[in-house]
Amino acid sequence: MNIIGNAKKEVSYDAIVVGSGISGGWAAMELCKKGLKTLVLERGRNVEHIKDYPTAMLSPWEFEFGLSLTTKEIQQSPIQSQLTNAGNQHFFVNDTEHPYIQDKPFNWLRGYQVGGRSLTWGRQCYRWSDLDFEANLKDGTAIDWPIRYKDIEPWYSYVEKFIGVSGSHEGLAQLPDGSFLPPMELNCIENHLADSLRKTPDRLLTIARVANLSQVWDSRGPCQNRNLCTRGCPFGGYFSSNSSTIPAAFKTGNLTLRPFSIVSEVIYDEHTQKAKGVRVIDQQTKETFEYFAKIVFINASTINTAGLLLNSKSNRFPNGLGNDSGELGHNLMDHHSSAGAWGAHPGFQDMYYKGRRPCGFLIPRFRNLHQDKNSGFSRGYNLQGHGERAEWPDRIDSKGFGNDFKTKITTPGPWTVWMAGWGECLPYHENKITLHSDKKDSWGLPVIAVDFSFKENENKMMEDIKKTSGEMLEAAGFKDINIFNYSHPGGTTVHEMGTARMGRDPKTSVLNGNNQIHDVKNVFVTDGSCMTSSACQNPSLTYMALTARACDYAVSELKKNNI
Amino acid sequence: MVNYYIVIIVELYEKVMNRRRFTKNILIAGALGLTSYPIFKWVSINKNVSPDAFRPYANLIDELAETIIPRTDTPGAKDAKVGSFITKMLVSCTDNRTQNIFLQGLNDLEEYAHDKYNHSFLECSKTERLATLEHFEQKSTYRFNVLNKIENKFIGLPFILNLKRLTVQGYCTSQVGVTKGMAYELIPVHFQACIPLTPGQKSWATK
Repeated sequence: MNIIGNAKKEVSYDAIVVGSGISGGWAAMELCKKGLKTLVLERGRNVEHIKDYPTAMLSPWEFEFGLSLTTKEIQQSPIQSQLTNAGNQHFFVNDTEHPYIQDKPFNWLRGYQVGGRSLTWGRQCYRWSDLDFEANLKDGTAIDWPIRYKDIEPWYSYVEKFIGVSGSHEGLAQLPDGSFLPPMELNCIENHLADSLRKTPDRLLTIARVANLSQVWDSRGPCQNRNLCTRGCPFGGYFSSNSSTIPAAFKTGNLTLRPFSIVSEVIYDEHTQKAKGVRVIDQQTKETFEYFAKIVFINASTINTAGLLLNSKSNRFPNGLGNDSGELGHNLMDHHSSAGAWGAHPGFQDMYYKGRRPCGFLIPRFRNLHQDKNSGFSRGYNLQGHGERAEWPDRIDSKGFGNDFKTKITTPGPWTVWMAGWGECLPYHENKITLHSDKKDSWGLPVIAVDFSFKENENKMMEDIKKTSGEMLEAAGFKDINIFNYSHPGGTTVHEMGTARMGRDPKTSVLNGNNQIHDVKNVFVTDGSCMTSSACQNPSLTYMALTARACDYAVSELKKNNI
Repeated sequence: MVNYYIVIIVELYEKVMNRRRFTKNILIAGALGLTSYPIFKWVSINKNVSPDAFRPYANLIDELAETIIPRTDTPGAKDAKVGSFITKMLVSCTDNRTQNIFLQGLNDLEEYAHDKYNHSFLECSKTERLATLEHFEQKSTYRFNVLNKIENKFIGLPFILNLKRLTVQGYCTSQVGVTKGMAYELIPVHFQACIPLTPGQKSWATK
């Protein structure tokens, strides 16, 4: 048995948390801190902070093939390999061992280990505002969010103060300021673009708000400006479950962590009308176990959470736990981030930088902020990008050979800016995940099928992103401007969300305003699946805030004997 | 605009004709049973390549890499052992098609050196070596980037461009390349956003 922590042989706990990624880690810490004996079930292996970051301190020449993957590795993981390299591939699954069905092309990036994708996330932390929470209601799309900014605002602060977010206060209504550590700095070309943008109303360029520590925080960090975050950080320079919430949960003495534990279903008790526990398959031995608890938090990540609930069938819930509405698995969203612009600038030739800042810049949303403007699409996008001088990877196809060519690839080239629009995706009922009726994985569980595509509103938005970002560069004096749309399939931004949405009405939603399954009050879902719309902000901060809020509610309900 | 399309069409036509001629040559050579016809031109472009197939070319690959990135006041490709990196990459990190194109390219290059200079590439002077590589680069690149993209996607990256990429990757991830050819810090600690270039400033080896 791979059990870590106290109470090794127990099968009953106060709380069970399914998943140890960014939201599962938060659920574990909050519940443990509130005194609940908590079992965390993680389907993958254990990854201990620092000890299990084998590539973190390697220099380029210490990899056999640079950072390239081998043809064999690419064949085994045709999806993950598109976004990974030799430095971080061990934090992503093997696609062959973990198959899924793509009804339409969909890149499903997965990290099956303790810490999940919190090890490899982009670390961007942006608050939502009421522009986002009210959007569905105002334009009559899908259903209304059951919460507003005021409900989550204190929890944003609570999370930011714990994880440490560096950023700059800008006073924007559409992107509220948070509790920030000192911001990272913009470089010459980014400042130049920022100056140029100030001439246009509603537009500004600010440094990314990231969970990279600009000073020591919670006995971690500071960030050493290595920009190797996705290998795991031996300095604890960024927030992950592994560096932060899981150690904090262990410190309480209340955490039991069981890696290699695939939760196959949530067990529903028809008499109490609550969940009584979960069924687990040991990933290695394939033995099955049952664990019991008063409350269950599902944080298996958007697609797997929906898959788990769909697979949890009972007389009361023949179509999956909590699926009275028929919405479970539907309304899958992912931000698009394919469209943007690139350009080179002839200026600042005598300036450079030192160190590798682990983030870029942000141009907050400026479209459809005011009702009177008509952009031809609904909602909006923010632009994320970075400025740098061209270095060898950018100049690898330069013409020529010999001394001049060598000089070209070993000295700084022109300043360039790359930026792309991270755009809102509307919730469409037909974008969904389902369980395949007869295909099973190695553990006998039904294989998940994903049916997702971007539609007219997203495509129109991408056109606007291309045009507008190109114009921004042009106005700032950039040359050789190249506008692009990579047309990546859904999933590529790794912001999948929405398969068990929150809502006010049990007939049209899976969860209520406290992330509780409407008719199974002791089951809480607080990962990306709970999202009712996607806004355009990177979503992890919101998942963490909703998790902390739901834990607070769950424990108070538990104390009142309401659940 | 019209001229632009005409140039594209002419370039495409030339390329297609070259390939047709190439295919025709193979067919003719096959029909005549010419066993002397170079074996690499017979094989399907996707045929399996033995990992040992590159071994006889080790010297040639070393010298090609050194021609691309020579030793100057900083180490060159040979100092960085780029040749063995290229072979290793070809064997483990590229598909059959890329391997076949590469082998064929090496042979084409040797053939060209013999035709033009009456000796192998290894016996060429520095000027002859540079001229040979430049000839191949010119021949492999369209004036219009869209055509390069089409060729790379449907046929494969031309030999000379792949040779260059592998050489640069090998040099720029090698210890001497990273630490002596360029600037590198494993742990920068601080980020200095805007600082003046220093005389002889090298670019950063990692982003």
